Amino acid sequence: MSTRHAYLFLLPALLLYAAFVVVPTLQVFAYSFFSWDNGIAQDFVGLANYARLGSDRVFWVALGHNAIWVVLTLAFPLLAGLLLAAILADRTPRTIQIVSAIYFIPRTIPLVVAGIIWGWIYNPLFGLLNYGLDIVGLGQLAGAWLAEENTALLSLNVVGAWTFFGFCVVIYLGAIQSIDPSLYEAAEVDGAPWWRKFRDITVPLLNNSTLFLGLYAAIEAMRFFDLIWVTTQGGPGYATEVLTTHVYKTFFLVGDFGYASVLSVILLAIVLSLSAIAFRLLRAK
Amino acid sequence: MKHINLSAPLALLIATQATGQETVVVTQWDQFAQSGISAAGPAMDELIATCQPALNGADVLRTIAPSIGIRDSYRLAVSAGKTPDLAYTWPAASVLSGYARVGALAPLDAYFEQYGWDHVNDFYRGRNSYGGSIYGLPMEQDLMGVYYNKDLFAENGLEVPTTYAEFEAMVETLKDEGIIPVAFGNRDRWPATNTFSLILGLTAGRDLEEHVLFGDEPWTNPAFVQAAQTFQDWAEAGYFPRGFNGVGYDEANALFLSGRAAMTITGTWVLQDMVRGAEFDLGVFMLPPIADDVAPGTMWGEGSQWQLSASATPAVRDAAAAYLNCLVSTESRQVWVQKGHTVPIGTTPEELAAWGADPVVQEFFSGGLATPEANFYDLHTTLPESMTQVLYPELQRLVGGDITADEFTATLQAAWETADANGERWIP
Repeated sequence: MSTRHAYLFLLPALLLYAAFVVVPTLQVFAYSFFSWDNGIAQDFVGLANYARLGSDRVFWVALGHNAIWVVLTLAFPLLAGLLLAAILADRTPRTIQIVSAIYFIPRTIPLVVAGIIWGWIYNPLFGLLNYGLDIVGLGQLAGAWLAEENTALLSLNVVGAWTFFGFCVVIYLGAIQSIDPSLYEAAEVDGAPWWRKFRDITVPLLNNSTLFLGLYAAIEAMRFFDLIWVTTQGGPGYATEVLTTHVYKTFFLVGDFGYASVLSVILLAIVLSLSAIAFRLLRAK
Repeated sequence: MKHINLSAPLALLIATQATGQETVVVTQWDQFAQSGISAAGPAMDELIATCQPALNGADVLRTIAPSIGIRDSYRLAVSAGKTPDLAYTWPAASVLSGYARVGALAPLDAYFEQYGWDHVNDFYRGRNSYGGSIYGLPMEQDLMGVYYNKDLFAENGLEVPTTYAEFEAMVETLKDEGIIPVAFGNRDRWPATNTFSLILGLTAGRDLEEHVLFGDEPWTNPAFVQAAQTFQDWAEAGYFPRGFNGVGYDEANALFLSGRAAMTITGTWVLQDMVRGAEFDLGVFMLPPIADDVAPGTMWGEGSQWQLSASATPAVRDAAAAYLNCLVSTESRQVWVQKGHTVPIGTTPEELAAWGADPVVQEFFSGGLATPEANFYDLHTTLPESMTQVLYPELQRLVGGDITADEFTATLQAAWETADANGERWIP
C-alpha cells in the first residue's frame, strides 16, 4: 500500500480524534484563561486562574490523595497479583483457568457498581463488614469505614485494589507462563526452594510486566472518579477528595469553568507525563 | 462586560428542544416525578390539561428531570444558552440571582403586576429578586420540622418538648433506652446543611442571620459559633446513629420509618414518603428555640420556583405566564395538595383542613406557618454555590469532630469574603 493510500485510510480516525480529543482539549486550555460567571465566559484574565492553585488547599489535599492512591495501588494489588500468579502458575491448567477467571471477575464490574456494592458492605447501619466482625466476636473493631476521615481513603483503596488485582494476576500469569521452564528445572536440580525460584527467577523476569502494570496503575489512579463519587463524593470533609472530584465540583456545581479548566489542565499534564515516562521506559526495554 | 461564547460544545449535553413547530411551544423542565422528593407528577399531569386553555393555543413540551439533578442540568443549560422557556428548578436567592445577573432569566415584574400573585409574600419575593426585579415565581412551601414516632414516645413516657431543655432531656431518655434519638444521615453532604440551618435560626434568630447575610456581621459571631458548637455537641453526645457521615439521606429516613429511631429532622419535601411509609403513629413538632432570646420559628424555603428564560419570545413568555397563573390559582393549589401531596405557598392551614390533607400535613403546616415573622433562612438554598461547596465538607468535618466550631465559622467567613469579592452575594 502506498503512503498516500495509507494516510487516506488513517484520515477518518485522525479527523474523529481531532474533533473529539484535540479540539475539546484545546478548548479546555482556552477556558482556563477566562473568568466565568455561571458558566458564561466574561473576561480574559491571563494566568490569574493558575495563580489560584497555590492557595487552593483542596487542590493540594486532592493531589496528595491521588499520590497516596498511586502508592497504595502499587503496593497491594501488584504484590498480591504477583504472588497469586506465581502460586497459580504451578497448578493444573484447568485450575489456572478457573481461578484466574474468578480473580478477574471484579475487573469486569463497572466501578459505579463496585462502589454501590462496597457502599453496602461498609455501611455503618447494616453493612456486611461490621456484621461479619460482630459474628466472629470482633465487634469492637466495627467502624464507620467511609464516614471517618482516618479510614475513608484506605477503605476505598481496598475497593480499588479488589477491582484491580485480578487484572494483575492475569497479566503476571501470562508473563510467568512465557518464562523458559528450563530455568526452573535447573533451579530444582540445584535444590532451590519455591521462594528462591520466585525471588531469583520469576520476579526479575517479570520486570516488563511490573513496569507496565505500575505505570498503568499510576495513570488510572490519577483518573479515577466514579468509585469516589458514588460512595463519598470526596467526603467526609475532604478525606477522599481527588483531583477529578475537585474538577467536577468546581465545574458542574460551582460553575467556575475557568478554574475547573486549570485543574483539568494540571491533571492532563500529570497523566501525559506519566504516559510519556511509561512510553519511554517500555520502549527502552 | 464582554460575554464570550466559548461553550458551544456544552449545547450537545443539553436535551434538544422542539423547534420549527407551527403553534407556539412552551418548553418546560420540571421535577414532578411519580415518587420520591417532589413526587407531584399526578398533579402536574392533571394541571397541564386543566391549564392548557390558558396557553391560548400554545403547547407545553415537558421534560421531567430528577429533583436534585435539575439544579445542575439548569446550570449547564444557562452556560450553553439553551435554557427551557419555563423551568421549575431550585435554588432561589444567590443561584437564581446569578442567572439573572448573566441575563439568562426574564423579569416577571409585569406578570406579578398583571396577575397579582399576592400569595407570594415579601420574604419569598425577596428570595426571588435581583437588582430590584423579580425573576422567580416560588411555588412549593418548604418547612423544616421534627418528625417523630408517637408510639415510641408513648412507650417511653415522652411528650413533645416545648423548650430546648426538655428536648435535651428527652434525647437522654431515648439514649438510655437504647433508641437512636435522631435518624440523621449525611453521606449525601446536603442534609447537614438543613439541620444546621435550623439550629442556626434557633440559636441566632432571623435578625442576626440577616445581619450576616445582607450586612457586615461576620460568620464568626458568638451566636453562629454557638450554633456550630450545638450541632457538634449533638453528634458527640450520640444524638445520631453511628457513622452518620456514611449514612445516606434515604437510609436515615428508612431508619426512622423502621422504628429504630425516634425522630428525624428534615423538611416537608418528604412528607408524602413519610406519611405513606410510617407504620406507626406519625407526628411532627417544631424544634424549640435553642438560645433564650430567640423567638420560636423554623426554616422556610420555597422548594423550587418557576422561572422564564430571557431567550423565550414575548409570545411564549406571555403564554407561559398565563399558564403559571393557572398553576398557582386557588383551584390548582387544591390539586397540588390533593394529587401532588405538595403544599403551595399561600396555602393556609384552614384550606389544608378543608381540602382533606393528611393530618400530619396539617400538623406540619399549622406549626410552621404560625411564626411568619420569625422564620429564617435555609443556607442550602440561600448561599452562592461557591460557598455551598465549602459548607458541605466543612459541616461533615464539624459534626465528625475533625474541626472546632471556631475553625468552622472562620472557614465559612473566609469563603464568604471570597464569594462577596466575586460579586456572588445575594441581597434581596
